[in-house]
Amino acid sequence: MTTLEGLAHGFTVALQPEVLIYSLFGALLGTFVGVLPGIGAMAAITLLLPLTYYISSEAALVMLAGVYYGAQYGGAVASILLRLPGTPQSVVTALDGYPMAQQGRGGVALFTAMISSFAGSMLGIVVLVVLAGWLSRVATEFGAADYAAMMIMGLVAASTIGSKHPAKSFAMVVLGLILGCVGTDVNSGAQRLTFGRTELIDGINLVALAMGLFGVAEVISNIRRADRHGPPDRVTLRQLIPTRQDLRRMVAPVLRGTGLGSMLGALPGTGSTISSFLSYAMEQRVARQPERFGKGAIEGVAGPEAANNSAAITAFVPTLTLGIPGDPIMALMLGALIIHGIQPGPLMLEARPDMFWGLVVSFGIGNLFLLILNLPLIGIWVSMLRIPFRWLYPAIIVFICLGVYSVRGSVFDIAMVAGIGAVGYALSLAAFSPALLLLGFVLGPLIETNLRRAMLISRGDPMIFLERPIACGFIMAAVALIVFPVVKSVFRGRRTGALPPDPQGIWTKKKGRR
Amino acid sequence: MRRDYHDILWGGFLSLLGLAVAVYSFMHYDIGNLRRMGPGFFPVSLGAVLAVLGLIIAIPAIWRAGETRSFAGRELLGIIVALLLFALLMNRAGIVITAAVAAFVASVVAPRPGILWRLVLAAIIAGLTWAIFIQALEMAIPVWPWSR
Repeated sequence: MTTLEGLAHGFTVALQPEVLIYSLFGALLGTFVGVLPGIGAMAAITLLLPLTYYISSEAALVMLAGVYYGAQYGGAVASILLRLPGTPQSVVTALDGYPMAQQGRGGVALFTAMISSFAGSMLGIVVLVVLAGWLSRVATEFGAADYAAMMIMGLVAASTIGSKHPAKSFAMVVLGLILGCVGTDVNSGAQRLTFGRTELIDGINLVALAMGLFGVAEVISNIRRADRHGPPDRVTLRQLIPTRQDLRRMVAPVLRGTGLGSMLGALPGTGSTISSFLSYAMEQRVARQPERFGKGAIEGVAGPEAANNSAAITAFVPTLTLGIPGDPIMALMLGALIIHGIQPGPLMLEARPDMFWGLVVSFGIGNLFLLILNLPLIGIWVSMLRIPFRWLYPAIIVFICLGVYSVRGSVFDIAMVAGIGAVGYALSLAAFSPALLLLGFVLGPLIETNLRRAMLISRGDPMIFLERPIACGFIMAAVALIVFPVVKSVFRGRRTGALPPDPQGIWTKKKGRR
Repeated sequence: MRRDYHDILWGGFLSLLGLAVAVYSFMHYDIGNLRRMGPGFFPVSLGAVLAVLGLIIAIPAIWRAGETRSFAGRELLGIIVALLLFALLMNRAGIVITAAVAAFVASVVAPRPGILWRLVLAAIIAGLTWAIFIQALEMAIPVWPWSR
């Protein structure tokens, strides 16, 4: 199927009334949860997962994707107006967006975030189509060793790039891998680490783990914090209009951010959060007056917003063409597809062109819809920030319980959410990343299966990972990712420079390490 | 000096957990060999790696100053109790009563006095739950204590 035929086919799928409605619903809901600090796309997608049993697979995928990119739009609102990032991706947006709002240019900052997000998404769609087509042809050559090496590289990349404390990140990945072992071993049928509980034979429930780590833990840490801010200023349509100079300053950062974001999004392990951090660092490095950053530089809003949106789109490349989720949200998408009996992989573009092309077209429609709707609706989104968190979180708790319960009618899973939530809160208090735990959990069984298969094929010779060019490339990249920061820190005297300087102490509010 | 207790405690705990997983898996599952890995191979190696990582986290933290972060103990307790109550009541009392109880208990830890708004909120959430999940989505779950 050529790209044009594919797109035409995609339009017939995406314009079906059911698919269209769920796509727009997802995008709006995503914006809503993105605007509200304290609930993220992760929690919203987990909550919607049980609902997808009741709708068609195309509508389900398109709706969940809508929540994902919608949240990227919404996240910027609270970030800019209140310096309260609604999603982890928009943490960086606050660095220059909030100073802009304080200077009375909040409207321009919001416009910049929206239009950069839109541009990033649209260019991301092009990259998605090109890369997915190429990768699904190449991926038929991939063997078990290549898959295993690629996933290991992904996990290494996720825990080293942009991480302040790689050992803590690795520990979370490994803990996730161990939790992924719980249940029946696929190869031998042995019950591992179940301690005789029949509920654990199928493994720890993905929905329960995600709800506990993201939903419950986030609610607990936000109850006291969330309502401390004053009401945001009203934003009128007129304030959104940027000056000519603003527009000129936006173009290059948007293009650079998109390039960076769409590449990082397509790699397993690095996702939209990391891409927004790196884009900010890059903008600061190439700027003629780097001292403007942190004081309301429009480039610091445009670049990261374009980067995180394009990364959110291209994150679908490894998920759909290789069946490997690059971040925890993609892991949930993969879960949703498997619920509907669709196994993503190299053959998916051929076998289910309706899913792939329908999704591509719905990205375009959904993003256009959000852009057109969000600019006039900005006042409504801002007033959402006035809803006190104490009215929302008891409802979130009830919906979390119902969502978990509806998966298989098990109250054991709800008790499990309580336990996981408590542990997740304690972990986040000590600045451990729950996202990495979930990533390890999802990739664990895939890595183990492919690793064991590869070793069987090579008759127990680990050299297979260096003899196959693809696997060797990934292993080399993983080694470089580990060795490079160590070498750098030895030479620079323990100064890790992956994160941009942090004038307002947004993400270094913990730790007095340096 | 206030030590970095978060990292010391978590590092130590993860180290012990890794050790426990490795030892338990080694005793109970077949390791196999490199060519034919048994079910124990992966957990034993992962446990060992986690044990080492835990030490890497904990040991440097002993000589490092750390901050105390405010621990939301009350909030933690309230939410966990609400979740456990939901688990306990769901199959016995049906969704409407369970949702109201869980929402009320969760709202108790909100930083705002008064009982009336909490009761109203619990009633609204129970009503919404009923409308969305029972009426609109027609989920097959117990609605009332007697509807089983």
